[in-house]
Amino acid sequence: MTSLRAREVTKTFGGLTALAQVSLDLHPGEVHGLIGPNGSGKTTLLNLLSGYYRPDGGAVVLDDEDLSAAPVQRRARIGVARTFQKPRLLPTLSVLDNAMLGGWREVRSGFLGTALALPRVRREERLLRERATEMLHGVGLGAVISRRANLLEHAQQRFLEIARGLVGEPRFILLDEPAGGLTGAEIEHLSSIVQTLRGCGIGVLLVEHHTDFVFRICDRVTTLDLGRVIKHGAPAEVRTDPEVIRVYLGA
Amino acid sequence: MSVSLRRQVALVAAGCALATVPWWAGDMYQLHLAQLIGAYWVLIAGLNLVVGFSGQLSVGHVGLLAIGAYTFAILAGTHGLHPALATACAGGVGALCGLLLGLPSLRLPGFYFAMATLAFALIVSEIILAQSDLTGGGVGLAVPGFPAPFDTPQGTYWLILLVAAVVTWLTWNVARFMWGRGLIAIRDSVVTAQAAGVPVFRAKLIVFVFSGLTAGVAGSLFGSLQSYVTPDTFIFELGLFFFVCIIIGGRGGILGPLVGTSILTALPELVAPLAKLGTFFYGLLLLVVVLLVPEGIGRLFELALERLRPRKVESAPVRPDLERLSAAIRKGQR
Repeated sequence: MTSLRAREVTKTFGGLTALAQVSLDLHPGEVHGLIGPNGSGKTTLLNLLSGYYRPDGGAVVLDDEDLSAAPVQRRARIGVARTFQKPRLLPTLSVLDNAMLGGWREVRSGFLGTALALPRVRREERLLRERATEMLHGVGLGAVISRRANLLEHAQQRFLEIARGLVGEPRFILLDEPAGGLTGAEIEHLSSIVQTLRGCGIGVLLVEHHTDFVFRICDRVTTLDLGRVIKHGAPAEVRTDPEVIRVYLGA
Repeated sequence: MSVSLRRQVALVAAGCALATVPWWAGDMYQLHLAQLIGAYWVLIAGLNLVVGFSGQLSVGHVGLLAIGAYTFAILAGTHGLHPALATACAGGVGALCGLLLGLPSLRLPGFYFAMATLAFALIVSEIILAQSDLTGGGVGLAVPGFPAPFDTPQGTYWLILLVAAVVTWLTWNVARFMWGRGLIAIRDSVVTAQAAGVPVFRAKLIVFVFSGLTAGVAGSLFGSLQSYVTPDTFIFELGLFFFVCIIIGGRGGILGPLVGTSILTALPELVAPLAKLGTFFYGLLLLVVVLLVPEGIGRLFELALERLRPRKVESAPVRPDLERLSAAIRKGQR
């Protein structure tokens, strides 16, 4: 079975150790929670997995391919998508265009072919438009498909980020605090979407502060504190671990 | 009438209007202005992909225009090469210079990239002065026109219109397919572009090389319109003018910059009081647009269209359709 792995990764920023020999593996078809107090290294680990940082020690591996030094773009190509803590959309483009961007992996046409509007370019365009439309309806943005992205409400922006990731047909998707700023009902929708992804065999990494949501939905949970893994296991184990309660959950 | 049909009708009407300019232009001077707009547009259409779409602030394309014009003048004039071939060569040399300039500079962050293109324009101008054996130095060089049937003002106009139409079509295709989305992602959020898999540097470079090609071709057309070029023909303000046409027209569109180019070229010439203002007019217009409609003239059209067809922007709560979602995902996995 292939899984996306961080093998004892270490990351330092000018003498400050953000992560110290942290390991994590994300399997297809599982929801893996990553929790911990602010500054514990969650987002650093996500940035290492998605290629925005290079590890100072250890490796990031998928399918026996060492991705440690591979550019971010390589992740998209082999099926690793991510969303951002603060939604990063293209404000002047429509919701549909934003979602289609996620399908860049599919683009085989070069600049010249595109400039000449070769049949293949039109075919790719049609395919991606269709796929993005389906994904948008799927995550519940069907009603706003042609709206400019800067007119979206917060929850819509978050769900559009997920749809954009899915248009690339990833095997793994890394969600950076997807529930941030959502209402209770919206978190329910998010939860049902994440469960659907799991059902389809996609591996989901959930970096999140809403612990109720995490413990309810995840198959496994990893807890970080000060750049180290303090507990890893099934939600029930992690939730009752005295160390996790002490540093993060509180009494 | 459907939107696409309406668009086709508008396109045909605009095409007819543009093609018949030689008959309804008031005098030769107005026709010359139309030719000039066309030649500028060939450059600006390519530059638009760099500035308006990928957000790379090049102010130095006047250098590439000069290279195109001098290449054309030297090959077609001094060496007597056929003007069509000379134009192709000018485009090739422009593309090559775009590659040489873009390769080191496109990795620089915005402001420094702009400075690099500024330096490039200044260097080109100095080289032209220094290489007087080739370029005539400060005295300049005569530029031949195009052969029949393009040797009349009308013929030249139609030639320029044809080239401009082809270049516009090419950039329109780039803009409307995935490349356009990729370039706008590079402009608005590089991390998003990377996450989606857009090869950021390569895309910027390819588009920049293309803009070098159109600048080279534009140089040939522009040079032969001027019929004589000196280093002073390619002052730095001209580079700034190209840049301003795009900003005023609006980033991320094609019609906007086209309108911007036409207005900025024609207005100061046609309205005498504005001519007296000169550069002040550009400055004022830039200030007004940037302060009042930062998204440019193009956005004004869009807003007007939306006003005509008002759509209620109502709150649409997110309501996932999980079956459809899982069907869409599974479709890709098969």
